[in-house]
Amino acid sequence: MAGGGGEAGACAVSPPPLQGLQLVQQGAEARLYRGQFLGRAAVVKLRFSKRYRHPALEERLSRRRTAQEARSLLRCRRAGISAPVVYFVDYVSNCIYLEDIVESTTVRDYITSVQQSGKDTSNLFLLAEKIGEVLARMHDEDLIHGDLTTSNMLLRPPVEELDLVLIDFGLSFISGLPEDKGVDLYVLEKAFLSTHPNTDTLFEALLKKYSATSKKSSLVIKKLDEVRLRGRKRSMVG
Amino acid sequence: MQHFTHQLELFPDCRVTLVLFNDVKNAVALRKKAMEGSIDGALINPAMIVDPFQILVATNKAVHLHRIGKMKTRTLNAEIIFNLSPNNNISDALKKFGISDNDSAVLIVLIEDKEKTVNLESIISQVEGQQVSLAELHKITDISKVKKMYKLTPQEEKIGTLLDGIICRMSTKDIA
Repeated sequence: MAGGGGEAGACAVSPPPLQGLQLVQQGAEARLYRGQFLGRAAVVKLRFSKRYRHPALEERLSRRRTAQEARSLLRCRRAGISAPVVYFVDYVSNCIYLEDIVESTTVRDYITSVQQSGKDTSNLFLLAEKIGEVLARMHDEDLIHGDLTTSNMLLRPPVEELDLVLIDFGLSFISGLPEDKGVDLYVLEKAFLSTHPNTDTLFEALLKKYSATSKKSSLVIKKLDEVRLRGRKRSMVG
Repeated sequence: MQHFTHQLELFPDCRVTLVLFNDVKNAVALRKKAMEGSIDGALINPAMIVDPFQILVATNKAVHLHRIGKMKTRTLNAEIIFNLSPNNNISDALKKFGISDNDSAVLIVLIEDKEKTVNLESIISQVEGQQVSLAELHKITDISKVKKMYKLTPQEEKIGTLLDGIICRMSTKDIA
């Protein structure tokens, strides 16, 4: 990837020269672009340098996260969990070229729109169960997502079919520990409940389906309860 | 006759051309020419290819690694063939994805850039066979051989196409 290295500014790497390139999102870690790559609709995730980091650490961290992401995406797919296909990984600029899930809707936007429209919310319960099921299968593969939020879950069109795709595995890792799985769910719970008001019962349905699907769930849920007690502004005075 | 061309987005000076032949009689000679370098292209067994995209992904990665001096094989053409394989065994890849002496179909991948132009007519004239359009590829693909090679899991087949599984393995095999 041709990159202008070392120029002043927040980011030293220039965007990839793809057809119809559009900046989709600017995150804390990476920029997301959309464009045509080798004749296909693709998404490019460009990790940029955090200039406050030591360059050696920077390089290693960026590369590790990129590799982890690619590895996790493959692992998901092998287990039958829908995640974008990896087209190309550039370890020089730490860029991943992925399948673009065209015209997808984030679960976040879907939940919000259903709630706002006041339409029938029974589909939301089905969605919650779907999510619980997918996460159970993911955790049964000992894959921890690391950044579960409703923005990191996509629905392929038409949304009503609840065809779920997980994305953004940049912070993912492999672990069999119930604690790590519990924390993964806790992160989602916090994100879920803070983004979508009045969804306690929805999340409960999610966890219920998770428990029903995963063979190792009871320990995980136990850990989740423990982590909940540990959280911010919680007294650990026994 | 239709050949297939694509300009690599990440290497705009680089153009990839795919030419497909059927009823090939001189596979032995072609292999020799490719090894000697008198044909400067990657000679691929089209029975292992399900879509031109598969070739483009392999080629893009090969050119990328070539440009940064990090190829796993010794030539760009060998690297393209190697990248098609789901594993990291070079000789196995060249054997399975390159052409064999008794192959009757051949897919040639040609790369053009600032330093190198390709004489398509000259290449075509050296093949004793019928040039066919890339649209005919699906007739030549041996799906069961491909499935056996790439070993998609049954769960994987439910969430995507054979091509999806193939591409994933090709692109992540170095860190899988």
